[in-house]
Amino acid sequence: MSNLDLIIMSFRNLLRRRTRSILAIIGVVVGSSSIIVMLSLGFGLSANFQQQIESYGNLHIIDVMGGGGYGGPVAMTSSKDGGMGGASSLDDLTVAQIAKIDGVETTSPVIQEYLKLIIGKYVSSSNVMGIENKMLEKLGYELQSGRALTADDKYALLFGNQIPPTFYNPKKTLYSSWGGAAQVDVLTDKIILTGDMAYGEKNVPQEPGVAIDYKMYKAKGVGILSNPNDESAYNVYMNIDTLKIIKADLKKARKETATGKQTYDLVKVYVSDIKKVEKVSQAIRDMGFQTSSLNDWLKSMQDTAKMMQGILGGIGAISLLVAALGITNTMIMSIYERTKEIGIMKVIGANLPDIKNLFLLEAGLIGFIGGVFGIIFSFIISLLMNTVLKGIMDTVLGGMGGSGSTISLIPWWLVLASLGFSTSIGIIAGYYPARRAMRMSALESLRNE
Amino acid sequence: MGDERVIALDSVNLDIFKGEVVCLLGVSGSGKSTFLNMMAGLEKPTKGEVLIGGVAVHTLTEEQVTLFRQKNIGFIFQAYHLLPMLTALENVSLPLIFQGVSKHKRELNAKKMLEIVGLKGYEKRRPSRMSGGQQQRVGIARAIVGNPKIIFADEPTGNLDSHTSQDVLDLIIHMVREKRQTLIIVTHDREIAKFADKVVTLQDGNIVHIKTKEEYNQHENA
Repeated sequence: MSNLDLIIMSFRNLLRRRTRSILAIIGVVVGSSSIIVMLSLGFGLSANFQQQIESYGNLHIIDVMGGGGYGGPVAMTSSKDGGMGGASSLDDLTVAQIAKIDGVETTSPVIQEYLKLIIGKYVSSSNVMGIENKMLEKLGYELQSGRALTADDKYALLFGNQIPPTFYNPKKTLYSSWGGAAQVDVLTDKIILTGDMAYGEKNVPQEPGVAIDYKMYKAKGVGILSNPNDESAYNVYMNIDTLKIIKADLKKARKETATGKQTYDLVKVYVSDIKKVEKVSQAIRDMGFQTSSLNDWLKSMQDTAKMMQGILGGIGAISLLVAALGITNTMIMSIYERTKEIGIMKVIGANLPDIKNLFLLEAGLIGFIGGVFGIIFSFIISLLMNTVLKGIMDTVLGGMGGSGSTISLIPWWLVLASLGFSTSIGIIAGYYPARRAMRMSALESLRNE
Repeated sequence: MGDERVIALDSVNLDIFKGEVVCLLGVSGSGKSTFLNMMAGLEKPTKGEVLIGGVAVHTLTEEQVTLFRQKNIGFIFQAYHLLPMLTALENVSLPLIFQGVSKHKRELNAKKMLEIVGLKGYEKRRPSRMSGGQQQRVGIARAIVGNPKIIFADEPTGNLDSHTSQDVLDLIIHMVREKRQTLIIVTHDREIAKFADKVVTLQDGNIVHIKTKEEYNQHENA
């Protein structure tokens, strides 16, 4: 018997008992779509986590900090500078070592200094970050206006999104108004940088005997970043070498003793393959430093998402199991009904495997058709969740936590997998009935009325 | 009750030659149907052997015997046993489907067969919309379409009125004679036996006598 004939015949048999076939198919539709929808919720959740975390920053970046010096294993193992409990300090040597770790694409030391920014009568106290330009490019901050820093920029400033509104007039108000519109244009106005935090303030208590002569640096703003949420929003970026000069000047002015060796507050490490971030972090921690990356968060959040997905998928699987029993039941009923027919077919020349295949195929077809409609149904439910349900949730929850764009996400491989799965479930469910049909005695089947 | 042994056939020896029309005659319960089923490999003897063209049918596995039937044997039943959801044409094509004959070829053959049994124009009809005689004609077409060497007919006219019986019987005999096929026909109708080359009478599981056509007709007419 040719395959085509087998398929046509099974199909006709399904059509003969239309109601029953449809009921069995609906069972599979419900089963497979509940699995797909449940899993899609997990995928949606996981994707949301990733999206949310990416909005906080860049998943490729590892921040490396000094060994801390709080005692404990981290400090104990850090022998770079020798001595028990001595903090591992970040210097050019460590930066070079980190750069050699497999997976690391770019590194940049970072220094920070809290400085006063002055525009006419407006001032702002901000954290100024000195960072290498190549790393700034890798951080991928998007510009709202102006341009990015270039390697030639010296006293050029790149503003975080939330910095311009912090300029205030100390003669009029005590503090900057939070969230108000910027009163200055950092891109066109002349800016002066200084380490004198008391600049322009009234009623600053004078420390007796200490008169520090702070230098003033002329600077200009070149760009404003666009993201109001991530760590860049509250920083001002500038060329690291220029900031080194400012820092050195400050130390001199404050008469602090210079350590002689340049150390850094932070080293930023860029790993191009997100999968390697975890490994690189571990390697750096093994060197005696502390690391922090958004990836650590993401991983634990994704583990949570996976666990939820497992539970939800399990619930879906139960309904598919019930559907499988439905198929078996349908096929057994069908055998009882068609006993005589099976007998006739055997006597007039149907091979035993033909009989078996006929029943297997019918069961498989129920699974397959159920799977196809299950997928269609799932996409409809998924669409409803992402539009109607999301709308309701957004209204109820308001702005909070509403950053996710999708509730349910169906990856393409899930479509194929569920189709294969429901078809095999059908075939497995049909195996026992098919075997039974094959083994029935032709003569006895024929006598069956 | 379960332990009671029923001996349906005992000491039955019969040779049937190619192209012969053999009639198994006997009253109900004489063992004639069991005899036919054994010859066709549908039932296995507890003792003894069934040889068809040198093949020991009783030793074949069920799978082998199905294949053997597919190639060599056609069946005509008392209750027609057509598949109700298939049209006449499809019912006749069914043995060819199992043999893996292509759709075009099998429909051509089946159409020709229906024409021979006088059912031209009935190709699309389903069994439920045909008379008993017509259904049996479809059954005959189905038995012969695969060109089997042996045809078994179990009370083929048992459900038909006498006039239709005569037509159907004429048709069967005519067709097998033309193709030099062997026909084994089971009946309790002594009239049918007159057409046979050899008449085997069974009673209580034994062969009472085997008569040639001439002997039987002499006996009947006497």
